[in-house]
Amino acid sequence: MSSSDPVLRVEGLSAAWGPAPVLDRVSFDVGPGEMFVLLGPNGSGKTTLLRCVVGLERPTGGRVRLDGVDVLGQPVHRRGIGLMLQEAALFPHRTVAENIAYAPLLQHRGRTEVEEEVARQVELVGLTGFEDRRPDQLSGGERQRVALARTLAARPRLVLLDEPFAAIDPERKADLRAEFRRVLRAAGISSVLVTHDRPEGLFLGDRVGVLFDGRLERVGPPAAVFEDPGTDRVARFLGYNVVDGPSGPEAVDPRDLRLGPPASGAWDAEVLAAGITGAERLVLLQGSAGRRYEARGPPAGPLPRVGERVGVRWERSIRLRESPTAKEAKNEPGLNPA
Amino acid sequence: MRTVARDALPVLPIVVFVVLFALLPVAVVFVTALGNAGGWSGVTSILGSPLNQRALENSLVQGGLSAGLAVAFGYPAGVFVGRYTWPGREVVRSLLLVPFLLPSLIVVLGVEDLFGAGGWVVGSLPGLAVVGQGLPAIVAANLVFNVPLVVLLTAAGTEGASVELEETVRTLGGAPARAYWDAWGRPTWVGAAAGGFLTFLFSALSFAPPLLLCGPRCYTVEARIWSLDQILLSPNEAGVLAAAMVVIFLLPALGYLVLVRRLARPTGTRVRRPLPWSGSPVVVALAVETATVLLAVVALLGAVLARTLLPTGGGSEGSAWDLLFGPATAQRLGVTVPTTILNTFVFATAAAGIAVVLAVPAAYAVLRRPARGPTLGLVLFVPLLLSPVVLALSLATFWRPLLGGSGSVWVLVIVSQAVLALPFALQSLGLPLSSLTAAGRESAQSLGASRFAAFLDADLPRVRGGLTTAALFAFALGLGEFTATYFLVTPRFTTVPVALYGLIGARQFAAADAAAGLLLLLSVAVFLALTVGGRRVEL
Repeated sequence: MSSSDPVLRVEGLSAAWGPAPVLDRVSFDVGPGEMFVLLGPNGSGKTTLLRCVVGLERPTGGRVRLDGVDVLGQPVHRRGIGLMLQEAALFPHRTVAENIAYAPLLQHRGRTEVEEEVARQVELVGLTGFEDRRPDQLSGGERQRVALARTLAARPRLVLLDEPFAAIDPERKADLRAEFRRVLRAAGISSVLVTHDRPEGLFLGDRVGVLFDGRLERVGPPAAVFEDPGTDRVARFLGYNVVDGPSGPEAVDPRDLRLGPPASGAWDAEVLAAGITGAERLVLLQGSAGRRYEARGPPAGPLPRVGERVGVRWERSIRLRESPTAKEAKNEPGLNPA
Repeated sequence: MRTVARDALPVLPIVVFVVLFALLPVAVVFVTALGNAGGWSGVTSILGSPLNQRALENSLVQGGLSAGLAVAFGYPAGVFVGRYTWPGREVVRSLLLVPFLLPSLIVVLGVEDLFGAGGWVVGSLPGLAVVGQGLPAIVAANLVFNVPLVVLLTAAGTEGASVELEETVRTLGGAPARAYWDAWGRPTWVGAAAGGFLTFLFSALSFAPPLLLCGPRCYTVEARIWSLDQILLSPNEAGVLAAAMVVIFLLPALGYLVLVRRLARPTGTRVRRPLPWSGSPVVVALAVETATVLLAVVALLGAVLARTLLPTGGGSEGSAWDLLFGPATAQRLGVTVPTTILNTFVFATAAAGIAVVLAVPAAYAVLRRPARGPTLGLVLFVPLLLSPVVLALSLATFWRPLLGGSGSVWVLVIVSQAVLALPFALQSLGLPLSSLTAAGRESAQSLGASRFAAFLDADLPRVRGGLTTAALFAFALGLGEFTATYFLVTPRFTTVPVALYGLIGARQFAAADAAAGLLLLLSVAVFLALTVGGRRVEL
């Protein structure tokens, strides 16, 4: 097995809750040291996918290979896959050090080795001096760091992270994300992060996969996925306006949408709301068939009034394919970009 | 100061009620009895008498044996009920409450119907005749009451276990047994231990089973106190023994309260799981054990019901009912059976009304100011510790002279039933009240509602189900209450459970079976009303 072979290979994985399919033949690889991000809206199957990989759910079809070995027949505790959840799920009655030492002790490592492992992990996640605290004496971010240290101390081949930053204060979230990325890189461990937070996923992932209704619709490096979303619903999820172009749906970046007097653009729309979000202005529009659009731009200049009719045009768009389930949204009149 | 007084107001009625109708009478009876005993030597002489010693030993043996076996039988079923989702789970959960709502006399009759001389089980398996009398019969009756309690409390603990922690332990390399030991086992043990303590208390202080299934040689302290006061007319000795009993059972009562409070603080999100993919041997064993427990409870209750419907003696079907409502029974009881039914309903309704009216403002006040929890803890604690006989003895001794002799009987019966129902009414209200948030009330107030209108419009609709549950639960407890009522009533105010005891004592088994069937049907009707709309009762 070469060093470039994938650590995790998911092949045609399917899962269902009773008769309802949750995952539909999902396939992807995760390389050594890579962070693969699974993006998708709530209910798209992200968590089920992680649970199938780690062994907490049984898939209805497909394979999960870890270092080339099919692990589907192995119980959870023998797979060597770490899992971190939204809740840190620390042992409430154990100290930070005891929580981190849990897996090394289960693995019957020597006392000195366990102590060294704890010291190494505590230092790696920046919690030196917190060793004797109990979970109820830590902040949410500190608890998540302990959970990461505890996961890494088990020396897993792969770490799965299920929305680990969802319950963290927004001010601390950015720091914690960067910290997690740094720690996982330093440990050289491959990981899969699940999130519905688009900027978080694009920021952290070496590659991202966008999941809709149990199907992986787009996989690639973050920049490539953002620049070429592929399908209309991936484009919408990534924040694009989707308009009907001459030969099918097209994605228009809200920053590329220009507003002018009525009848000056490709089509007219009504202003639903307008305001400043900080670094930019945001105008929410409603087209003739009731579809909503966003226009973003620098905050300078007067804002349009609510209820005002404006002409809409754009200079750049990206061609898309239609998602199988998005055909019903095709009632907007044909648009001709300026 | 005014704020403190206004804040204390909602808990004041319940505290005053418990002080007046439990703590004060009990304290007066204990102090009087200890004073009349002639000092420490008199007390030790009373406690050292062979019959009192034997009663204490019986209590400890019956309580310990019943608690141990109840945990052994109830724990696996509790884990199965609390951990997995399966069709009919909620029905089973509700069904497990039925024995607790039943008068102990029905269970005693059930044990006799199955294991007594000529019992249905003994007919096919004569070796089990040993279960039909003496200590085994008492323990069997105690188990019917208490195994379902252990199941329910263990299930509550299991439901509160952190699924996240369990899954994390698995991914850290812990095998299923390790995950049980380190992650989800603890809350189940807390639930089972709470059930064990409660079983110990209920069994060590049981009254009807030793009286009817064994006799004086098996009397518990509770039965001995009754016997000293009512048969041997020695109220001082009864008072001293009651005081000693309260001290001795302080520890298990405290243990139960501490554990049940821990159960109220779940460690994880309440996510139950479907049954595992393939038939895991452990899960199959748990399912079989649960089915066995259910079958035992249903068989026992079914035996009582069947006995009321099948021909008795040489008569035709339904002759048991004719006997029950016939003139001979009325003559024997000193009151007609319809009057006993009316008495039962009036007492239970009044007691439930008092319990709920006192419990609602108190539980609501604790919700708004959790620091008041310990005060309410005392209210929960007092009836648990006192036992029905001690309560009835104290009420009769202290209040009867003040209220005017036998005319006060009905007041004391209602008060005793209300005191005994209070802890369970408070527990039933706890869960629905805990779902109340300030947001709804504050929104209503911000829209112009007064504090009272906000309570009526925002809070009350959300706890209406909980209120009904608490009222029905308290009503059901009053319906089946036997021990305290038996101690207090005169023939004119006889209730159905007391009439049933009288019929058993007179060896009128056919009429007794019909009375038991009547009580069983009433209890099942209340149980059905309790569980309508998926309502759930917390112990």
